[in-house]
Amino acid sequence: MKFLNKLSLLFGRRRFHDELEEEIAFHRAQAERDFVAEGMTPEDARYAAMRQFGNGTRIKERSREVIGFRGETVVQDVRYAMRQLWASPAFTIVILLTLALSIGANSAIFSVINGVLLKRLPYEQPERLVRIFLSSSSYPRFSLNPFDFRDYRARNQSFESMAAFTRGDVQLSGSGEPVRVNGFGITAGYFHVLGLRPELGREFDQAAELPGNGLQVILSNRLWRTRFGADPNVIGRKITINMQAYTVVGVMPAGTVHPGNEYHSVAYGEDVDAWWPFSFEGNPNRRGSHYIEGIARLKSNVGLEQAGTEMNAIMAQLGREHPGDSGWKVLVIPLYSEVVGASRPMLLVLLGAVVIVLLIACANAANLLLARASSRQREIAVRLAMGAPRMRIMRQMMTESLLISFLGGGLGLALAFIGVKALVALLPADFPRTQDIHVSPAVLAFTILVTVATGILFGLAPAFQATRADPREGLQKGGRTTIGSGRQSRLRDALVVAEVSLACVLLIGAGLMLRSLLNQLHLDPGFQQQHVITASISLPHVNYGKREQVARFFDGLVTNLNGLPDVESAGAGSDLPWTGYDENSGFTIEGKKPPAGEEFHARYHMATPGYFSALGIPLVAGRFFTEADTKDTQQVVLINHAMANKYWPNENVIGKRMTFEDEPKEKDWLTIVGVVGDVKDQPNSPAAQPAFWWPELQSGWTSDMSVAIRARGTPSLLADALRNEVHRIDPALAVADLKLMDTIVNSSVSTPRFAFALVGLFAGLAIVLAGIGTYGVISYSVSQRTPELGIRMALGAVRSDVMSLILSHAARLAVLGTALGVVAAFALSRLLKSLIFDVSPADPATFALVAGIVILVAMLAGYVPALRATATDPMNALRAE
Amino acid sequence: MAKKPDLLPGTLDMLILKTLTRGALHGYGIALSIKRFSDDVLTVEEGSLYPALQRLLLQNWVKAEWKMTDTNRRARFYTLTAAGRKQLGVELSQFEQMIAAIGRVLSDVQEA
Repeated sequence: MKFLNKLSLLFGRRRFHDELEEEIAFHRAQAERDFVAEGMTPEDARYAAMRQFGNGTRIKERSREVIGFRGETVVQDVRYAMRQLWASPAFTIVILLTLALSIGANSAIFSVINGVLLKRLPYEQPERLVRIFLSSSSYPRFSLNPFDFRDYRARNQSFESMAAFTRGDVQLSGSGEPVRVNGFGITAGYFHVLGLRPELGREFDQAAELPGNGLQVILSNRLWRTRFGADPNVIGRKITINMQAYTVVGVMPAGTVHPGNEYHSVAYGEDVDAWWPFSFEGNPNRRGSHYIEGIARLKSNVGLEQAGTEMNAIMAQLGREHPGDSGWKVLVIPLYSEVVGASRPMLLVLLGAVVIVLLIACANAANLLLARASSRQREIAVRLAMGAPRMRIMRQMMTESLLISFLGGGLGLALAFIGVKALVALLPADFPRTQDIHVSPAVLAFTILVTVATGILFGLAPAFQATRADPREGLQKGGRTTIGSGRQSRLRDALVVAEVSLACVLLIGAGLMLRSLLNQLHLDPGFQQQHVITASISLPHVNYGKREQVARFFDGLVTNLNGLPDVESAGAGSDLPWTGYDENSGFTIEGKKPPAGEEFHARYHMATPGYFSALGIPLVAGRFFTEADTKDTQQVVLINHAMANKYWPNENVIGKRMTFEDEPKEKDWLTIVGVVGDVKDQPNSPAAQPAFWWPELQSGWTSDMSVAIRARGTPSLLADALRNEVHRIDPALAVADLKLMDTIVNSSVSTPRFAFALVGLFAGLAIVLAGIGTYGVISYSVSQRTPELGIRMALGAVRSDVMSLILSHAARLAVLGTALGVVAAFALSRLLKSLIFDVSPADPATFALVAGIVILVAMLAGYVPALRATATDPMNALRAE
Repeated sequence: MAKKPDLLPGTLDMLILKTLTRGALHGYGIALSIKRFSDDVLTVEEGSLYPALQRLLLQNWVKAEWKMTDTNRRARFYTLTAAGRKQLGVELSQFEQMIAAIGRVLSDVQEA
């Protein structure tokens, strides 16, 4: 009933008001008449009636509240606030742009954080998934041995299920050009561990782990659709993989995400197209070779630590059973930290940066609103005097702030949509989970939350200040020359100091990252990337099962390539620089003994003679391989500088000998013929690992090789030539991973470049905002002090006095803000440690330079209003009083 | 000037409803009537009266009609509705219960 009555009154507001007006008038008239009847003069009676009746406006407001809906006053407030914003467009544009940019930046970065860090991995109960690695003093993270794995699986009590996988790309032929796709050998139950089920067919059972049962394959949804026309009867079909007939036993659904791996790594993502059964072959008592990776699902009642303890106990037991297995510890690491761990520090730094920008924007908005609130003092005083409740005024002010923040937030969200697209495009290629980054409902909720918090944060100060106002004072001053009450201008100064210090922190962060980036760009990679194109070729075992076949293929290919007019030099090797290659071998050095409990070990590589000149890896001593180093000549080896320093410090290493055999015959010794320059495993590896190279013609037992070609002209033009040369020898081979070395080098700094670009962008935004803030406060104080300045000038102060008066105000704010910023940056910059390379987090040059820039910007922001102040005409200023 | 006692909170609606049982009255009449019947002890603030009347109207406890007064002026006259009469009963009994309760507490205090 009440609601319906209110509703009907909603459409009769005018009539309601008119009637109330009339009723009040009638009431007064009656009271007046009665007073006259009591003997008052008509005039006294009128005043008495008015006094008795009290504040008519207030009665109307309260009556309106009775009949109005609660939301209605909000609508009024919003309308009022809209009018206020419309009335001062410059103010509105500055404040909205500031907020839109900073809220948009927050939403965009949060989209990335949400997609990468917060969203659960697309597996069943992903928090229980772990990766298993081995660790020793020489190899902090190492792959597993298959027979060790089989024992872990059989003996452990901590895991619900456990599986292993290893990279093994497959060449698919049949119809069309042969392609090579990312493939993995997996043990039985690999998908079960992840909680994934094939869309068609089944996954491999334990029988497939037995040698000889391996000719089965599970296809990705993508491969099934693109290569097999989404054939629903594909299960049981025989397809040609690595020149052999494999039976399709399963098809995985779309969205099957590879959990990422370390050894010959394929990053987390939907980039694996074929899985084949891993089989346990060889002698189970020889456990020296490590090339599979473990993944397992913890039992629901078992913690990480408990599982780690049990696995280490099992490993210790294995060490007692098999001498080769001693000295290893087992690492049990949550899959989540494996996938996103590396990107986390950078994302948190970016989040910190955008939060700082937002705080600065809040301080700016609060300052603008404060300045405006004091020029609206008269308006507020009038409303208070007319009987508006303080709560109502406060609510009105808050409504205004929230309206501003919501308009800003709306614009910000629009910017975030664009920003997220740009971010994803700019993200380094190896960044995890980029496909999960978009403006999702969670991002929307976050934006709303940030928007409301922002509105409240920057609205509180003006709202409180407005309601503290004394109506009498406000009316008397009449909004004229309030020499800003001390408290208020102190608050404004404090806000500017905070802005300047926050901007200073961000700039120092950006400065450190820039220095780090420059360091990385100027780093000598140990090779010359210009004009080099690379590719990888994998020789199927069926046709290339013998050493000689592999050697003959690569020898022929390289010779043909070197004969091309556009090729300066071409070579093949087991791997390319910076690909994270990590094959190791122990060996014996003639006449030396390793320290107790250790063995001589180093990375082993293979290379054809042209490999080093094609990549531009320099010769330090001795000679490179030549065509004359063949099977029938002396066995030779090249080592890198790091290996020479480690095992033959201060010795001439040329002519020294090493071997892989425990009881070497004379022909098993390899003679060191040269030392080559160091190349790190990864661009950001702290140092190059000791490594040696075998001539491909003397070893030749890897069937996966990489080719490097140094071009005389544009290297990309050689891609087709390479394909032609390969197909001339064997038309069934696929040429994969065609890349320019330039691109590889560029992408190696893509993460620091990306991080610097964003932090730099936010730091730039921050310093501009802080500049605007300083400018605003100084010019406001100049406008407030105009009469004072006029008096000073009338009393003989010269322009330079006025200038230094204003500038010293700006300088106080700038220096204090910068000092605080430097201290804060000093405390915070160690958080950057994992992101910066070869720069101290307390780099004095960066700190000094940034402090100088910040002070300069703040002084510039103060200079403009100071200039205006000196132009004050004393007469005008005094007249204005 | 001695301060007049304030109306007990929540009693204004009841007083208005009771006053209207004696017949239709305009706002000024209601204020005057309460003042007279209370021997000038209770003064109804206009600032409370009119919002209260709006409240009663919304609840349909009173209805309003524009009529001419004896002096031939247009005024809004309020009359009690059946629902209003019922509400008055409810409020009176609540009020009596409360007064009785207060009385008991006070007499107990005196005895002690």
